[in-house]
Amino acid sequence: MIAPNLAILARGVCKEFGSGPQRTPVLQGAGLGIARGEVVFLVGPSGSGKTTLLSILGCILTPDGGSVQVLNQEVAQLRPAELAAFRQRHLGYVFQTFNLFPTLSALDNVALAATMRGVALPTARAQAERLLEQVGLSRQGRLRPGQLSTGGCQRVAVARGLVNDPAILFADEPTASLDAANGQAVMELLTRLVKAHGVTLVVVTHDSRILSFANRILHLEHGRLIRATQPGEAAQRATLESVA
Amino acid sequence: MWILAIKAMLADRAKLATSLFGVAFAVVLVNLQGGLLLGLIEKASLLVDYGQADIWVGRRYTNNVDVGSWIPERWIQRIRKVDGVERAEPYLVSYSEARLANGSFEPVIVVGSEPASLLGNAWSMAQGDARAVRHPDGILVDSCDAEKLGHCRVGDTLEINGRRAKVVGLTDGIVGFSTNPYVFTTLERARRQYVTGLTPEYCSFFLVKARPGTNPRALAARIQREVPHLDVYDRQTYSRMCMEYWLTRTGIGMSFGLATFLGLLVGLAVVGQTLYASVTERVKEFATLKALGAADQCVGQFVLAQALGNAGLGSALGLAISLAIGWLVNSPRAPINWTWWIGALSVLLTTGVCLLAAWLPYVRIRRLDPATVLRG
Ligand SMILES: Nc1ncnc2c1ncn2[C@@H]1O[C@H](COP(=O)(O)OP(=O)(O)O)[C@@H](O)[C@H]1O
Ligand SMILES: [Mg+2]
Repeated sequence: MIAPNLAILARGVCKEFGSGPQRTPVLQGAGLGIARGEVVFLVGPSGSGKTTLLSILGCILTPDGGSVQVLNQEVAQLRPAELAAFRQRHLGYVFQTFNLFPTLSALDNVALAATMRGVALPTARAQAERLLEQVGLSRQGRLRPGQLSTGGCQRVAVARGLVNDPAILFADEPTASLDAANGQAVMELLTRLVKAHGVTLVVVTHDSRILSFANRILHLEHGRLIRATQPGEAAQRATLESVA
Repeated sequence: MWILAIKAMLADRAKLATSLFGVAFAVVLVNLQGGLLLGLIEKASLLVDYGQADIWVGRRYTNNVDVGSWIPERWIQRIRKVDGVERAEPYLVSYSEARLANGSFEPVIVVGSEPASLLGNAWSMAQGDARAVRHPDGILVDSCDAEKLGHCRVGDTLEINGRRAKVVGLTDGIVGFSTNPYVFTTLERARRQYVTGLTPEYCSFFLVKARPGTNPRALAARIQREVPHLDVYDRQTYSRMCMEYWLTRTGIGMSFGLATFLGLLVGLAVVGQTLYASVTERVKEFATLKALGAADQCVGQFVLAQALGNAGLGSALGLAISLAIGWLVNSPRAPINWTWWIGALSVLLTTGVCLLAAWLPYVRIRRLDPATVLRG
């Protein structure tokens, strides 16, 4: 059942948090397939498990049941150390809260992700500089996250997510803390860069203003992916308005 | 990687300041306390260390140079015959009493050296010439002790053991552990005038100068064979014995050591606490590294670099402060004997604590679930 052009294939993914009476099943058999190079949005009401699903697909969180294949690799077969190496080599992330190092400059934040792979610092900084240029921050490389605007931090996070040439980039609510104009700009940047680098992009969002950037939109409800739509299809408008 | 770790550490000025303060504090504490103890205890062997004799011969169990006992001077002939002895001279160290102009008394230690060679006489002068002890009734006292002896100056007369004594010079920083002033004079005068109850042919020590190139230990053994009923030590051994005498007899080693240890504990606790806190506060950053796929040893390198960076910078700061304070407060009364091994010990100790303080939270970081970064 392995299709070589699939970036991600997940079946029957289950995850619950807590135990006893506090037990909350979050994912109850979610399944999906994402093709290489595709831009896929995961949408759904707040608390529906979008972040949880993204973490599982991003190989950061282990599911309780079901199977996940990322780049044709059965994730459950990897030991923790191998899993970390797999993430480092093939996957990139833009976290919802950016998670930049507050005491490092924008340039060093991006370079740090590259040095983690054993790249020498001068090379890492050169790569970081190139990426900062691509996200439009070539002049602000010396500034620390605290000295940058929220949009600037988001761009640094994007540059860091791409610096190791990942096959798949995961972004959790990349526009949640940005205003409309900045949100549009960041999404334009993201989609342009993933196209240029040939990267598969998985975005979690409940921001209906950016849905037009998706190739395909997957709707998560009650722990399952209930339908897939194309941007502009009437069906998703109603779903998302019920969130707000 | 470690360059970025150090950069991240340096950039956080507030946290850096607290942890550097802690490290520097511990380093200063070890250096000053250790230097003070060493400086203090080395005063116990001042006469031995600077007296220029290679071998000290005294009565059995004379394990403190300030409290000599009596040996017949004529035995020195046996020592002079020993192969490798360049010269051997009698020497006298004995307690006596100085009477001051205002009627009060002050115990003093009279030190009498053989007048021709002046072997064992004062070696460092604040005022006057040490050879002036040869003048009639001439004595030398230390400039630090002048106050105790009625603010005496060169040219003043004192009364020692009821006899006239004229201050012909002031020594510089020759202050013993017992705090009783040393009074340098010649052997004969010490015996006849300044010390009571002594038969004229007796002295306290024989000081031996070895011929150049002679091994002092071997020479001491040869002399010992000639005078089996006396104690014979080379300078180093006797110096150590004098220090041990006070260390063990007075409990100063114990109390000073304990005070140093407790202070050190406080200093190291500060270091440990600040470093532990700074790693713990950065747990989110380490979780991010792990989520991005950093291997454990990569995160370890990051923590290690920061711990060593802190230890190194803090130690350098601490050593600099120690040197400055040592330079400011060093005095003959409370000498700070700052040696390289105390410095090395202080750096080693604090570095060890820094590593430990970083290792404890690192264990936690290793177990940390990278999924925590996705929760806002
Ligand atoms: N580590 C966790 N422990 C307990 N409950 C959790 C944990 N992570 C998520 N949840 C719960 O799972 C549900 C889905 O969370 P999440 O995946 O963050 O949803 P979304 O991103 O769609 O808002 C929420 O009810 C949340 O409280
Ligand atoms: Mg979420």
